[in-house]
Amino acid sequence: MLFFQELKKTIFSISYILIIIVLIAGLYSQDALSFKDRKISEPQVGENYGTTTKEVPEIIMPAALEQLWGEFCENNYKTYPIGLIKNIKLNDSEQDKVIQIISTITGMEKDVILKAKEQFPNNFSDTVLNIKTNINYSDFKDLMQQIDDILGGGSSYNKDALISFGIVPISYEEALHQYNLAVNEDKITGGYARLFSDYAVAMVLSVLPVFLAIIIFIKDRRANMSEIIYTKNISAAKIIITRYFAIITAIMIPVIILSYISNASVWGLYNDTRLDYLAPLKYDFGWIMPSVMTATAVGMCLTTLTNTPIAVVVQGFWWLLDINIGIKSVKSGYSLFRLIPRHNASTVSYFRTQDYINHFNSLIANRLLFVGLSICLIIITILIYEMKRKGKLNENFQLKKAVSNFRNRKNKYST
Amino acid sequence: MNNSIEIKNLNKFYGKKHALKNINLSIKQGMFGLLGRNGAGKTTLMKTLATLHQKKNGEITICDIPIENAKEIRKIVGYLPQDFSMYPSMNVACAMNYLGILSGLNTTERTQQTENLLKKVNLSQHKDKKVKELSGGMKRRLGIAQALLNNPKVLIVDEPTAGLDPEERIRFRNLLSEIAEDRIVILSTHIVGDIEATCEDIAILNDGKVLYNGTVDNLLNTAQGKIFTKVTDKKELPKLKKELIITSMHTQNEKIYIRFLSKCSIHDAQMCEPNIEDAYMLYLSENGMYPALSINDLGGEQ
Repeated sequence: MLFFQELKKTIFSISYILIIIVLIAGLYSQDALSFKDRKISEPQVGENYGTTTKEVPEIIMPAALEQLWGEFCENNYKTYPIGLIKNIKLNDSEQDKVIQIISTITGMEKDVILKAKEQFPNNFSDTVLNIKTNINYSDFKDLMQQIDDILGGGSSYNKDALISFGIVPISYEEALHQYNLAVNEDKITGGYARLFSDYAVAMVLSVLPVFLAIIIFIKDRRANMSEIIYTKNISAAKIIITRYFAIITAIMIPVIILSYISNASVWGLYNDTRLDYLAPLKYDFGWIMPSVMTATAVGMCLTTLTNTPIAVVVQGFWWLLDINIGIKSVKSGYSLFRLIPRHNASTVSYFRTQDYINHFNSLIANRLLFVGLSICLIIITILIYEMKRKGKLNENFQLKKAVSNFRNRKNKYST
Repeated sequence: MNNSIEIKNLNKFYGKKHALKNINLSIKQGMFGLLGRNGAGKTTLMKTLATLHQKKNGEITICDIPIENAKEIRKIVGYLPQDFSMYPSMNVACAMNYLGILSGLNTTERTQQTENLLKKVNLSQHKDKKVKELSGGMKRRLGIAQALLNNPKVLIVDEPTAGLDPEERIRFRNLLSEIAEDRIVILSTHIVGDIEATCEDIAILNDGKVLYNGTVDNLLNTAQGKIFTKVTDKKELPKLKKELIITSMHTQNEKIYIRFLSKCSIHDAQMCEPNIEDAYMLYLSENGMYPALSINDLGGEQ
C-alpha cells in the first residue's frame, strides 16, 4: 500500500513529467525511438560490409607509426588518461626519447629524423620512414608502450589499445556469419533492443533517476514532513526500500513502454523471420535497470546524508567521466567498473552479435556489480535515515556545516 | 503500565550551547503546559521526548519505556511540530491515509481513524480539499488529527496556537482539553492564555532551566498580594513604565488601566487577584529576567 502511495506521489508531479520529456528527447535525438529505416538484409557477394579491427601486425605497425609521426612533428599527443581528452606537449628531453624510439623502429639516425621532420612534418607517406625488418610485433608493442609511458598513459600506443590501428574490411563470409548470428542468436529484435539500451543508458538513464530521488527527499523537507515521518511507527528500512522501488518503477514504466515502441517499429520489416518479442523486456531489466538502480541509490544516499541536491553534481560528474572514458571504446565497452556499458552496434555491422556474445560474461559481471553497489548504497541510506530520525546527524554534522559554509561563501561572493 | 512521563537530570547540548540544564519533571495524565519565552528550550525538550533529539545525559521514561527504546516510544507518542505542514498537493483524506500507513495502521483502521479524527477536529467537510487550500487553523487541526492516528498515550504539541486568530485559538484549546481526558497532552507555548485555559499542571522554562514546576493554583498563590491595578493617564505612563513591571494595560477614554507587579502598594493602587500572566511575569522577574524583558516579551496574549 505504501508502495502505491509513494509511486503516486512520484508520478503525479511536474518534475516527473519533465524527466519523461528529457528521456524522450534524449532517445529521439539518437533516433532510438524508431529503427524503421534500419533494416538488416542478408549480405550479397561484392557489397561493402564495413570494417572491423583485428590484431594484424602488418596493418597495426605502419598505422601506429604514421600517427606517432604526425603527433611527434606537431608535438601534440592526444591521450585519454581518465577518459577526458588531454593534449600532451612534451619537453625537449621527452621528445628526444620519442626520437630514440622512432629511430629504433625505423633504423634512422636522430639527425635524419629531425631533417625529415623539417621536410615532411605532416605527411608520413612522403617521408622515408620505414619499419626495420628485424623489429617483430612484440618488440614494436614494447616500444609503443614506452611512448605511452612517456605520455603518462591513456594513449592509443598503449599495448592493449594498439589493436585500434588494425582496421580491416569485413569479408563476405564474416558478414554472412554476423548476419546469421543476428537472425539466430538475437532473433533480430535482440539487436535493436540492445541498441536502444545502449543509447538509453548512455544518454539519460545513468544520470536522470538521480533527480527523482533528490526531489522525493527535498519534498519532505520543503513540506516540513521529515519530522512527522520520523516520529511514525514505520521502520527506516521499510520507507527507504519502498521509496527506492517506487522511483525505479516510476522510471522503468516509461522505459519499458518506449523500448517496445522502438522495437515494435521494426517488427513489420521481418515478417518471414522468427522474432523475440520479449527482447526489449530482457534488455530493460538486464541492461538498463542496474544503471537506473545505481543512479537512484546515489541520489537517495547523498540527499539523505546532506539534505542537499549534491547528488546531481556527483552523479553528473560520474556520468561525464564514464562517457568520456568510453570515447575510446564507444563501439563496445564492457569493463567491470563502467557505469555505462557500451555496444553501439547498428544494423550496418549486423549488431556485432559475436562481439556481444564474447563479452556477455563481462557484461553480466558489470551489471551484477552495479546491482550490488546499489544495494550497499541503499543499506547505507537506511542507516543514515535511522540515525537522522534519532537526531544523530542533524546537529553539528560536519558535512552539513561544510555545505552551509560553502553556500554562505557563494552568497557572499555573488552579492 | 504507569501512565506518566518521568524526566530526571536531563541535559542536552547543541555543540557548546547547554540547551537543557538538569531538567527534572514528572508529568501525569491530563494537560501539561510548558511555558517559556522563545528560545527557552521548550522545542528542544519536546523533540527530545518525541525521540527526534538525543539527550546528553539523564533519564527519560514515557509510560515506563526508556526513551532509548525509540521504536516502542514512537508507538505510544503522537507529535505535532511547531511548523506542521503536509505535501501541499495532497488532499486532507489522502494525507491522513498516507500518515496512517506510516503509523502502521491497516486499511480498516485507517478508514475508521481518518473518519473519526476528521470529525473530531471538524474537518470532515474539508476532506477533499488540498492541504495548500487549508487555513492556518485548519492545518493545525489536521496536525492534531494526524498525531492521534495511532491513538497515542502521549500527545506532544509544540506551539500549536501561534499565529492563529482568537476564534481558532479557542477552538483549538477546547479540542486539546477534550483529547487530554484520557491521555497525557504536553502543550508548549509562549502564550500564557493557552495555559490558563487548559492546564492544571505547568512548568516554566527559561534558558534551558525549569523555573517553576507545579499546579496553576500554586503558581497563582505565589503571586498573591503582589499584583496591583492603577488608573493613570498618558502623561504619567512613561514614568510608571520605568518604575514598575507592568503586566498589562488597557485604555478607556482618557484613562489607562494598568496591572503591575510590586512587593508593596503604591499611591492610588489597589491590590487584585493575580492571573497566570502576572504570576509568570513575577517568576521571570524574581529570576532576574526583568528588566531585560519588554512588554512584548512578557508572554501576553497577542
